[in-house]
Amino acid sequence: METGVAKSVAKPETEDLKDPAYRKIRDMIYQISGIYQTDEKLYLLASRCTRRMNATKTTTPAEYLDHLTLRGNRDAELRLLLNEITIGETYMFRSVPQLEALRTVILPQILAAKGGMGFKRLRLWSAGCSTGEEPYTLAMFLLENSDKLLSGWTYEILASDLNDNSLAAAKAGIYGEYALRSTSEALRKKYFKPYDEKRLQATDQLKSLIRFDRVNLNDDSKMIFLKGLDLIFCCNVLIYFDLASKRKVMQHFFANLIPGGYLFLGHAESLYQVDDRFHLVHFPGTISYWKPPAGFSGAKKP
Amino acid sequence: MTTLEEIRPRIKALESMPTIPATIQPLLDMLRLPAEEVSIEKVVELVSYDSTIAAQCLRMANSPLFGRRNMETVRNAIMALGIKRIEAIVMGCCLNRIVPPEKWVLDPVVFWRHSLGCALVSSKMAKLIGYPDPEKAYLAGLLHDLGILVNMIACTDEFRQCLQKAHDERVALHIIEDQFLGFNHCQSGKILAEQWKFSPDLTAVIEFHHNPNPAPVAAPLVATVYLSDLLCRLRDLDHGYYEAMGIDLTAERAWATLAEQHPALANMDLARLTMDIDGSMEDITSVVDAVFKPHRAAAS
Repeated sequence: METGVAKSVAKPETEDLKDPAYRKIRDMIYQISGIYQTDEKLYLLASRCTRRMNATKTTTPAEYLDHLTLRGNRDAELRLLLNEITIGETYMFRSVPQLEALRTVILPQILAAKGGMGFKRLRLWSAGCSTGEEPYTLAMFLLENSDKLLSGWTYEILASDLNDNSLAAAKAGIYGEYALRSTSEALRKKYFKPYDEKRLQATDQLKSLIRFDRVNLNDDSKMIFLKGLDLIFCCNVLIYFDLASKRKVMQHFFANLIPGGYLFLGHAESLYQVDDRFHLVHFPGTISYWKPPAGFSGAKKP
Repeated sequence: MTTLEEIRPRIKALESMPTIPATIQPLLDMLRLPAEEVSIEKVVELVSYDSTIAAQCLRMANSPLFGRRNMETVRNAIMALGIKRIEAIVMGCCLNRIVPPEKWVLDPVVFWRHSLGCALVSSKMAKLIGYPDPEKAYLAGLLHDLGILVNMIACTDEFRQCLQKAHDERVALHIIEDQFLGFNHCQSGKILAEQWKFSPDLTAVIEFHHNPNPAPVAAPLVATVYLSDLLCRLRDLDHGYYEAMGIDLTAERAWATLAEQHPALANMDLARLTMDIDGSMEDITSVVDAVFKPHRAAAS
């Protein structure tokens, strides 16, 4: 699930934002979750903090910072704040730059590397797929490119979540206007059928590309069996892990991916000081983490 | 490799290369004096003669990009920005004026978003890695694409086709220029930079910002602008289109060149820098729109 920008959030007074406590909270969240709020988006963080300040009956950001750092229940409070920060529904085709990078650079690269070996099969994993917007987007993207780019290839998408309710909703594939706001009329007609007056349901063709499964990313026994993935998408899931667990999940992801495979995180998330085996790769409008093939000679760090 | 002498005849109308507007020259001369000889009074006076430059100084000083203050007078704005930043603003205005409105085949808003973005990223990166003169990095970032202006003026139609082809093929502009014109904006920019007697460092940035491996002069500065230019082209501060590329900046040779002299680069949080660029996008857009939108409206 991507961080949503809640429309109803009012911009707090500029003076308020100058409170250094907000920057401290921002940096703390970045260290713990890898989610980074730029100075320009600090008002958003401030408004999320305001909600938690009301709930905890604190009056100043500094006092609330104490709640996050000194009080006995600081871990629980931090979790509640992170929940506020990542709240918000997501929608299909949310990250066009990501799909552009897949289409113009990543897939041609992977197809060229794999095609020569005779495996004409792609495996994608939406890890933490929430209510399914991401895997359905990927499924539509693959089908739309099946004639040219992916001609002769088969593909499957694994979509997993820990939350049974989210997973059930994802399997049902029923979406309203919000989730479909960026989906063109042509794609809606092609890949969805009417469900009720206001909602559409994914067609069986679309669903058939996706395998839904409950996966706990912390469960080593399950993680080690996931092999040969070309692409992993894991948006705003890492916030739920402490640094040690995050490192472990990254080790698994690294092993799950084929050499040359890519990992995508949420748009404000980073692996800085979490994992240094993945290479940060910039694409227009998006970033990704790349697993270099064995013996890759390009120096990561000089 | 084409030599400059082979290129020169190919740039049509090179004899009529643009000159620095006469009204701006005295101000530039003053700003480039040694620090102790610069008279702030004189700078304020000269800036005030030119309403565009004065307005831009005020706008920049009051912009969130510069810490959002409440500067109401040109004098306060100049004091806050500092002489180096004023020079960058004056150069920007100067470049904007040398291109006749009908020759802006690349939308000026797109050009200045990229240039201002590159200036900000260059100076930010310079500060992060301890490069001694971040303001120089700012100016270098702002002016690195000087040659694009030269090409728009000197070979407008050919350049328009290059831009279209680069856009359609999602390829970097300088590659198409090489194929199509036989030279690119690095080389044509160098010619104007020399004519305008830019410092050797600045000229090196303009000449080598697409081929910094390593630059013979000012290698760290060139590498900084090279990496910043790449980052901008990858972050919606591009030349108006997505290039089909994925780049591991740390594997670039320029990265190693820069890290040799500035080891702090190895510990720089690149993802965070990238997110900061995304965060300042709105401010860059608003500054550029405020300054250049009227120009475009007048041109169209």
